[in-house]
Amino acid sequence: MFLALREFKHAKLRYFLVGLIMVLIAFLVLFVSGLAKGLSSDNASAIQKMNADYFVIQKEADNRLNRSLLSEDKLRDIEKFAASQSTAPLGIQMTTFTKKGSSKQIDATFFAANVNGVLAPDVVEGRMINNHTTNEVVADHSLKEDGLKLGGHIKDQFSGKTFKIVGFTKGESFSHAPVIHMNFKEWAAVHNLPADKQMLFNVAALKTSKDKAQLIEKKVPGVAVIDKSQALKGIPGYQEEQGSLMMMIAFLFVIAAFVLAVFFYVMTIQKINQFGVLKAIGAKTGYLARHIISQVLLITVISLVISIALTYGVAFVLPNSMPFDLTPPLVLGCSGMFLVVSVIGSLLSLYRVAKIDAIEAIGRAA
Amino acid sequence: MNHKLVLDHVSKVFGDGDSQIKVLNEVSLQINAGEFVAVVGPSGSGKSTFLSIAGALLSPSSGRIILDDIEINQLSGKKLNQIRLNKIGFVFQSSNLIPYLTVRDQLLLISELAGSRHKKAEQRADDLLERLGLSHRKNNYPESLSGGERQRVAIARACMNDPEIILADEPTASLDSERGRSVVQMLADEVKLREKAAIMVTHDKRMLDLCDRVVYIEDGRLTEVPKN
Repeated sequence: MFLALREFKHAKLRYFLVGLIMVLIAFLVLFVSGLAKGLSSDNASAIQKMNADYFVIQKEADNRLNRSLLSEDKLRDIEKFAASQSTAPLGIQMTTFTKKGSSKQIDATFFAANVNGVLAPDVVEGRMINNHTTNEVVADHSLKEDGLKLGGHIKDQFSGKTFKIVGFTKGESFSHAPVIHMNFKEWAAVHNLPADKQMLFNVAALKTSKDKAQLIEKKVPGVAVIDKSQALKGIPGYQEEQGSLMMMIAFLFVIAAFVLAVFFYVMTIQKINQFGVLKAIGAKTGYLARHIISQVLLITVISLVISIALTYGVAFVLPNSMPFDLTPPLVLGCSGMFLVVSVIGSLLSLYRVAKIDAIEAIGRAA
Repeated sequence: MNHKLVLDHVSKVFGDGDSQIKVLNEVSLQINAGEFVAVVGPSGSGKSTFLSIAGALLSPSSGRIILDDIEINQLSGKKLNQIRLNKIGFVFQSSNLIPYLTVRDQLLLISELAGSRHKKAEQRADDLLERLGLSHRKNNYPESLSGGERQRVAIARACMNDPEIILADEPTASLDSERGRSVVQMLADEVKLREKAAIMVTHDKRMLDLCDRVVYIEDGRLTEVPKN
């Protein structure tokens, strides 16, 4: 630290510039990470939050929840292997509705579930529906931005049914559309299923062990059992969206490592004579290595603090509708990664310093 | 024993096989406490190698080196580092100060390296600068010092660890004769004052009268020049 701080003080511009680059890169990493997290929950928070471990899905559905179709008979087969309270049928329907008294079309996803079962959402405003109502639903509170209110009515475009909103949930979305929860009576009405015919739904959510899940997959014909992360990847666009953002983040980390590595390597080469003198007067390689690492870490930590402040500042002025979610664990994770990457970036310089021979100081004009 | 440094039949061979070059050939030298020895010789005669070996920067191919009663020719690189830090002071050709340290910090660095940085070290640094006439320069960076001042800082730095022996590699090479002489005079005074020893490699014949002994190197062989 003795040398590190004094060198910073003497060569301010040099270290300011590399710090600036690190601030920009760290800012970009944090911003894109927040965006990825935000988009991920904007896309699929209803599945991420769901109190279930596995989904029983039609075998041909290719892991896509909304492509699958299961019947009541199938559900009974499944329940032979898993207790009925841990098995919850779920209907998923992408739809478009209009607010009563307006012609503006709004996208949403209907989720049909036993509202007394494990899939019932948490209502943050208003009240929950029960299993007997025929025209009441609870909607995600992001729909408020479209002007929906408690007690307001919506009209489903495809079935023509009208529902009254009696409650709001928080953070429930599927495939970038807010989720509207309903019971199976209303689900049947939306799909014009006659009361005497079998109920149809998309998937069955399971809250059970891995062994049970595998047993069901083996014993029940025509179904596959997938876990939550597979289900998420099955949401249209989810994997592509996250994949491209993750690639950007990974590249930014690599770039950060290279910027630091090249910068410090060039500086080290410039200072070889100096390091030779230091070794000649008795500095150990370990001392010089600590000198370089403390410089790298100092620059990284200062850059991180600035960029975290910058990111939260920018997040503060972003509009609410922007899917941006930067949680403290995410910030800590990214910062930790950055520190690791910066130390990796300094290894090249450490190697060079270790190879310097003290004898370079003798008989040489600087 | 009174000898600060003893070189006993030291040889250094570079290269291998057919292209062997014997840079130092059976060199023996004893330096007593309070002695200031000049080493002169044409370029390529082995002066730098001699200084590197005496300064524990280079290991000899054969022979013994005893510094302050410790035989150093067998020690590992790590131990040699420790020896250099505690027992040897270097004054290099072009001072080789660290550009981003102030004059005072150049000296404190030595105690920092030795892991003994405290008030006493600061006091010692201030005393040394005072004696070498650098007190008014102690917060300056090397870039704003004159050549003579830089060499004086280098001498102060070499004395900072209270070494048993000071090795100077052409300390006057970048100075005019008047300044060079005052620098060498200071070096000689330090040696006398502290009862230490010093070896100075030089080209400059005008400085020799400030030294107690002069040895001459040619083709790797050392001969004592009688002082007249």
